[in-house]
Amino acid sequence: MSEDIVIQTRALSKVYRDFWGRQKVRALKPLDLEIQRGEVFGLLGPNGSGKTTTIKLILGLLFPTEGEAIVFGKRSTDVSKNERIGYLPEESYLYRFLNAEETLDFYGRLFDMPAETRRERVDALIKMVGLDKARKRQLQEYSKGMTRRIGLAQALINDPELILLDEPTSGLDPIGTREMKDMILRLKGEGKTVVMCSHLLADVQDVCDRIAILHQGELKELGRVDTLLTVADVTQIRARNLSPECQTEIRDCISRHQGELIEMDNPSTTLEELFLSIVRDSEARPGRRANVEPVTSDT
Amino acid sequence: MVLEHEILPYFQWLWSGGAGSIGALPRFLLVALGLGLLGLMLGYVIAAARHGLLRGGDIVYRTITNGVRELFETSPRRVMALAGLAMKEAWRRRVVVALVVFFIILIFASWFLKKNHQDPAKLYISFVLTATTYLVLGIALLLSAFSLPNDFKTKTIYTIVTKPVRLGEIVLGRILGFTAVGTILLAIMGVCSYVFVNRSLDHTHGIDEVSLKNVTDADGANIGKDGRTTLENYHRHDVELDTNGDGFALGNFGHTHKIVQRGGKGMVLGADGIMRARVPQWGKLTFLDRQGVPKERGISVGSEWTYRSFVDGSTQATAIWTFDKISEALNSEEEGGLPIGLIVRVFRTHKGTIGKAITGSIQVRNPETGLTSDLIPFAALDAKIDERAIPRKLTGTDNSELDLYKDLVSSNGQLEIRVQCLERGQYFGFAQPDMYIRMRDASPMVNYVKVCLSIWVQMVIVIAIGVAASTLLSGPVAMLFTVSFIVLGFFRPFFVDVAQGPQYGGGPIESFYRLITQMNMISALEDSAVTRLIKGVDWVYESLMLSLAQVLPDFSKLSTVDFAAYGFNVPADLVFQNLTMCLAYVVGMSILGYFLFRTREVAR
Repeated sequence: MSEDIVIQTRALSKVYRDFWGRQKVRALKPLDLEIQRGEVFGLLGPNGSGKTTTIKLILGLLFPTEGEAIVFGKRSTDVSKNERIGYLPEESYLYRFLNAEETLDFYGRLFDMPAETRRERVDALIKMVGLDKARKRQLQEYSKGMTRRIGLAQALINDPELILLDEPTSGLDPIGTREMKDMILRLKGEGKTVVMCSHLLADVQDVCDRIAILHQGELKELGRVDTLLTVADVTQIRARNLSPECQTEIRDCISRHQGELIEMDNPSTTLEELFLSIVRDSEARPGRRANVEPVTSDT
Repeated sequence: MVLEHEILPYFQWLWSGGAGSIGALPRFLLVALGLGLLGLMLGYVIAAARHGLLRGGDIVYRTITNGVRELFETSPRRVMALAGLAMKEAWRRRVVVALVVFFIILIFASWFLKKNHQDPAKLYISFVLTATTYLVLGIALLLSAFSLPNDFKTKTIYTIVTKPVRLGEIVLGRILGFTAVGTILLAIMGVCSYVFVNRSLDHTHGIDEVSLKNVTDADGANIGKDGRTTLENYHRHDVELDTNGDGFALGNFGHTHKIVQRGGKGMVLGADGIMRARVPQWGKLTFLDRQGVPKERGISVGSEWTYRSFVDGSTQATAIWTFDKISEALNSEEEGGLPIGLIVRVFRTHKGTIGKAITGSIQVRNPETGLTSDLIPFAALDAKIDERAIPRKLTGTDNSELDLYKDLVSSNGQLEIRVQCLERGQYFGFAQPDMYIRMRDASPMVNYVKVCLSIWVQMVIVIAIGVAASTLLSGPVAMLFTVSFIVLGFFRPFFVDVAQGPQYGGGPIESFYRLITQMNMISALEDSAVTRLIKGVDWVYESLMLSLAQVLPDFSKLSTVDFAAYGFNVPADLVFQNLTMCLAYVVGMSILGYFLFRTREVAR
């Protein structure tokens, strides 16, 4: 296996059986995947499509019925691979009677980290996820977003090379979602490999280099996001400050060249962008918002 | 005190065992080998059935090699982290409730524990230590059986097993964490119960001045006074005072009091010896029957419990103890001879005078020369510990003067002490531990700690079994499994008896057959294919029971509460044997827990 391949699955499949060994459900049909070092890889699919099962098989939380998953050249059941892995489960399954510091210190000790390193790492991560003021509070007092953030911190405690995120934006508000996506891009910038599964398509589109689309336990599509989403026979032009005359001229030009003008109007922003701009504005100028101005591309 | 099994020296117990048994270590290795092979076969059959012959073999091979490799990769830091987590979890689950229950028991115990008992210390110690044992075992059971299943339920285990944590570390961490919590609870309970027993039973008396009478020697000179104390705590003592007015309230009810002169009046100080730790040196017991013929046991008086056997009165029937390593060093100047302790079970075939002791005799004999002392008569009260000394100067059967150590101890340090019942129609019952040479008492506090250590050993074994079971089973099922282990462990001798002892009515299937055919227990079954099948199934069943008995912890042997209750020192050999057993269970259950854990899909 090449050094650049972080995860490889070979005909990986999973069948859930009942106590008597009778097949209940085929959660994953033979899956062949290769995930490269440094990429952000998304597993996409509706609920019950096999995304989480795939992640669990890669982590060794489930045993494959057939095939195998190789992580850093080791079988998924080999715990030594976990030295280089960080995992954020679908919900942050943490010990709620511990506070943030104790939680991260505990997980740091599981990586056999010396006390001094642990202390520094815990401090840095708590600040990074914005829980500095709540570091002494028990997790049972945390909101869902805060729990998610401490969950992310525990996944990063060992400065992992491979981070597996199961529904990373689940339960987060738009700001939290944006921060999570920024974090994923920052991790990518640091050369780390990120594998995430989500059914929130916009999130995946924003951060993933490559995606695999699963449905009913079967791989339906695999490739680069930009390639998969490119519509080859449509050309998109975006321009600023065009006069009506100029727009008419462009329409004529398209017509002269036997092109079909599909749409030419002012684009709308995303609701996420609008929400974030309002919150930013509110933080800068507290109080009631004076009037709603038209959104420009500079906003 | 009842001691049904001889306490072997530690290394003999470990390597070679007693008569008719093998040493603990070879036994452990044999059981481990048997269980290992059984697990291997079972694992392969299941893996082969699911994945085919070759892949099944590969899975089993990898499971074993990974297990061995992971054993060497165990990190103390990770284990301690997991142990710390288990401790925090235990506190969160309000284990201190056990302490509250314990204190409530202590507060109300004195309502029910009567101080007019013949030996109140025995009653109090037995009660508090038994309560401590059950509470600690209960807590150990609940903590160990529900912890891991709860982690599976809340899925917090996901964030543990996706770290480089070896499964063995999770098992060991849980065992150590809960052991630490249990140790803290046990230490608090131990200290409180020790203080409770001492404070509850401590008392003093006044001197009953009316009862005091002068005592004179043969020349008529005053040598002191005799009398008795006032009645306190439902008892009074005989008093012996010297001419200065100092002296003792003598040892009734298991304790004594010192009496000193204060302001011209005798003052009885607090009780001494409420808690004792007698250090016995046991001998070997044989018998002579009524015709004087040597026998291994005395006669049965019809009691189902065969621990003691009896000698009949006014015959040649004799109980003979042979002691080794007897020398002058054992002589007590205070008591004027060789200190011994003697417990006699008196079996009366006619009641005689109620409350009157039955007369018996003690003789001392040199097993080498046959030189024998004259009879030393004594009054035997049923089941009381009679502490006396064999006088150094004795008269022989030929009226010659004998020195106990020079004339009656053989060249290899052996001494025989013979006990007979002198009253016709009455019987004395003895077991080997009923007579002993009394060495200097050990510290009662240290002895109490040793008893608490034996409770600790039981607790750790329960934790190890509970944690191992919880790696595979759900919480309630793991608890039931562990409870079955504890219950069978407490009744292990009975369980083994059922499996291999003589049975009236046969095994379970044969008994059922007899029930439905209304056949009595004694008649032989007719020889037919059906009865042969019944006996065959019973044989398999009994073999399974015997196999199970090999891994059952014998809690009745592990408990040393009776030692403290009856005022005997817990021998160091027994302490080390118990600790070794504990270690064996922790090792065995950790390995079992590891492999059970490995077979389990965490995310199912």
